[in-house]
Amino acid sequence: MDNGNIYKPIKAKLLEVIEESPTIKTFVLQPERKFSFHTGQFIELILEGVGEAPFTPSSSPLVKEKLDITVMKTGFVTQRLHQLKGGETLGIRGPYGRGYPLEKLYDKEVLVMGGGCGFAPLRSLLYNLQAEQERIKKVTFCYGSKSPRECIYEPYIEELRSFPKFEVMRTVDEADETWTEEVGVATVLLDKVEVNIPNSVAVVVGPPIMMKFSVQKLLEMGYPENKIYLSMEKNMSCGLGKCGHCMMGEYFVCKDGPVFSYDEIKDKPDIWK
Amino acid sequence: MNKYYTLSRQDWEKTLANLINQYHIYAPLSYNGHQDYELIDQDSISQIVYNRPKPATPLKTFFLPIEENVVNIQPPTHTRVIMGVPACDLEAVHIQDEMYLNRDYVDPAYKKNREAAILIGTDCHSTQEHCHCTSYGIKPYPQTNHDLTLSLVEDTIYLYINSPMGESLAQAIREIAPLEDPTENEIQHLLDKRSQVEQELNHKNQGLPDYKKTGELVARSDPGIWKKYAETCVSCGACATICPTCTCFLLMEKPGFEKVRHLDACQYPGFEKVAAGEDPLRPLYKRFYNRYMCKYVWKPEKFESIACTGCGRCIEACIGKISKNELFLELANA
Repeated sequence: MDNGNIYKPIKAKLLEVIEESPTIKTFVLQPERKFSFHTGQFIELILEGVGEAPFTPSSSPLVKEKLDITVMKTGFVTQRLHQLKGGETLGIRGPYGRGYPLEKLYDKEVLVMGGGCGFAPLRSLLYNLQAEQERIKKVTFCYGSKSPRECIYEPYIEELRSFPKFEVMRTVDEADETWTEEVGVATVLLDKVEVNIPNSVAVVVGPPIMMKFSVQKLLEMGYPENKIYLSMEKNMSCGLGKCGHCMMGEYFVCKDGPVFSYDEIKDKPDIWK
Repeated sequence: MNKYYTLSRQDWEKTLANLINQYHIYAPLSYNGHQDYELIDQDSISQIVYNRPKPATPLKTFFLPIEENVVNIQPPTHTRVIMGVPACDLEAVHIQDEMYLNRDYVDPAYKKNREAAILIGTDCHSTQEHCHCTSYGIKPYPQTNHDLTLSLVEDTIYLYINSPMGESLAQAIREIAPLEDPTENEIQHLLDKRSQVEQELNHKNQGLPDYKKTGELVARSDPGIWKKYAETCVSCGACATICPTCTCFLLMEKPGFEKVRHLDACQYPGFEKVAAGEDPLRPLYKRFYNRYMCKYVWKPEKFESIACTGCGRCIEACIGKISKNELFLELANA
């Protein structure tokens, strides 16, 4: 940030609120000046006088004028965010942390696994991979959600499926009569994926329980620990590696992460809690 | 620079009476056997406590106040001269600086508080029950992070200049009272006092594991010991609040996109709780254990500075009467 104070946000106008599911909305923001981030980095989104919370943008890192933040209604700040209609002024601090290691994905078959609102940060990665598709062998995107109604970014799924190098597989825990794809927890998709594991890298983002079982399964499939990348959800408050709330062993998740390879964190305490 | 000077206590107090017009001078004052840093005025100059450990509040609260607006920053109105700072608190400035002035993110509120302070360290000429700085390789007299050392022996003030800022303060003193050269005997007397206190500390803390060893002991400890020692913990956070090296904080959002920082403690419930509900530190004993892992295992992996200076305040402050030294002795003898 160039305003000299690491705690001072830049302002951003809320252009539009998109309802993605009954509990998830996307907030389209226009920062007061161009805003750059590396895919997988996060920001602190500030509701003036109310609070701030960390979110990884769900828009393309190549777009500097606008920023999409997809938010699940789950806590104090997010409940208030969900009441916004558009036109309000919010604050942004960041970007913070270490994002997805794009260079490690080049020339690879990338297996991207998302669960629930974990699709949000992954959409930013997928946009980035689309833009650089000539450098990627292929991308298999596995997405798990509770129900068809909870599946987010429907139009984007269609767009992604039109890209030859991108394959999309989806599952829901509980299907309804409209659902034509898989049924079961996210890991059932891993039984169906066709990837050349020695030349593959996996990226997993989702609720802790989904990440835990996905990692287990990926290890069984033969993925080395250092080829599995995870975006960790911890209580990232300051974003600066100072406040201490997101410590995971000696790591400050906000500064050393939030993206880690599994071998970096497997021995840290309570990584799935 | 790097030289001892003396002046009489009377001249020193006369100097202080003059300097308080220019600086905000904080020094230890004593109440009912306890002492703390207080803003000195004309009436309290003669009551300043010299060479006695240690102010109840750690030095850190000058740099990291319990509550401070970190967006709308109000710099101190005066340069602060902080007297009577013991070595344990001065050593703790290393990790505070590493945390708040690191090259990635300089914390502007901390920086202005730090820059507004002239630190006058003091030799400890006595010890308190739980003092154990020497167990962690720290001498009971100032070695780093201070501008001047000041001691009082038999109505003579001894000054040792340690920095250009210390020199400029000495210059301000010279304008009011002359600084004399001490005799070699006087200097020797001071040095003898230092080694006497050091020996006393070494003796009374015999068997206490050193800082490196504490990390090894915590890392390979059995969970049972943490449950046992946490039995009387009430999560009040006093240990962390009073600790010179604990620096965690909470940010509170205010109107106008301002933010107020409050000192926080991992001992409080919900410290690591995320919005979705996961809370790795939900059980109280895990919070208790977390603080030890942080100080003796994780911080040493991540920081160059020591994360416990052996001041013993956490033992004094604990209403559950938990002694970390007893804990370490038990770990060491397990």
